[in-house]
Amino acid sequence: MLGLVGHRFPGGKRTIDRWENYLLTDCTTSPQLDDGLVHPIALFHIPIQGVQTSIAELFEIGRVEGAGSVGLDGYDWEYFQPVREDVEYSCEGQILEVERLYTDSGSMYDRFVFAIELSDQEDQLVARATSFWRLRRGKIEH
Amino acid sequence: MKTMAALLRDPYPIHWDAEGNEKMGIKGNVVNQGPLNLSYLVNMLMNWQGQDCIRRLTVRFTGWVLDGDSLSAHGKVISLNNTNDELLAKCEIWLERDGERLLEGEAIVALTDS
Repeated sequence: MLGLVGHRFPGGKRTIDRWENYLLTDCTTSPQLDDGLVHPIALFHIPIQGVQTSIAELFEIGRVEGAGSVGLDGYDWEYFQPVREDVEYSCEGQILEVERLYTDSGSMYDRFVFAIELSDQEDQLVARATSFWRLRRGKIEH
Repeated sequence: MKTMAALLRDPYPIHWDAEGNEKMGIKGNVVNQGPLNLSYLVNMLMNWQGQDCIRRLTVRFTGWVLDGDSLSAHGKVISLNNTNDELLAKCEIWLERDGERLLEGEAIVALTDS
């Protein structure tokens, strides 16, 4: 697992369609946003899909084994410009950290951190999404 | 949650397989997606300072949100700073169920209406 640090995702382009943003915004119970503004929580899945990976592939990379074995510790999302519908964004990212840790009760897990940047067609940085996952490895035998 | 799972292409069954969640002690319930939990705080901030006000979100997930839960979103301004010609508010934000924090962290918000 430690060898994953520095692993770069393939990278690619991602455009957020109107229908997708409409449904996403609706899921949050918010009214639709103005001027093609994308709901800020798109910074979870758009970067992942934009670098040509997926949640399923990240589970595979992280050797996730079944329900309850992966947890979401947190996000650090930075917005440098508004994210808008129908704009093609370039997406690049990598795995930043993998660290073997233990909970207070002795359960082993891997802290799994990856970051992805979105840039516009002028190569200006639009947003950066850093995600912190917890990959549970079962109970330690004492 | 099912629509969200489809949009995210999220295969994790805890978000849609209520019966399958029995082994985690929550049979009959499904777990809300983390981004949706955060969206309730985001919507609170957008209602406060406009749809384009958020500059940064740094959050930790401390508990599951289940279908049927009643939640409340909270925030408090910690400090104000002028950066890049914007007045920015650093805020403590958190999502609560019956007084228990399920999500907490900080938001940097541009005070567009100031």
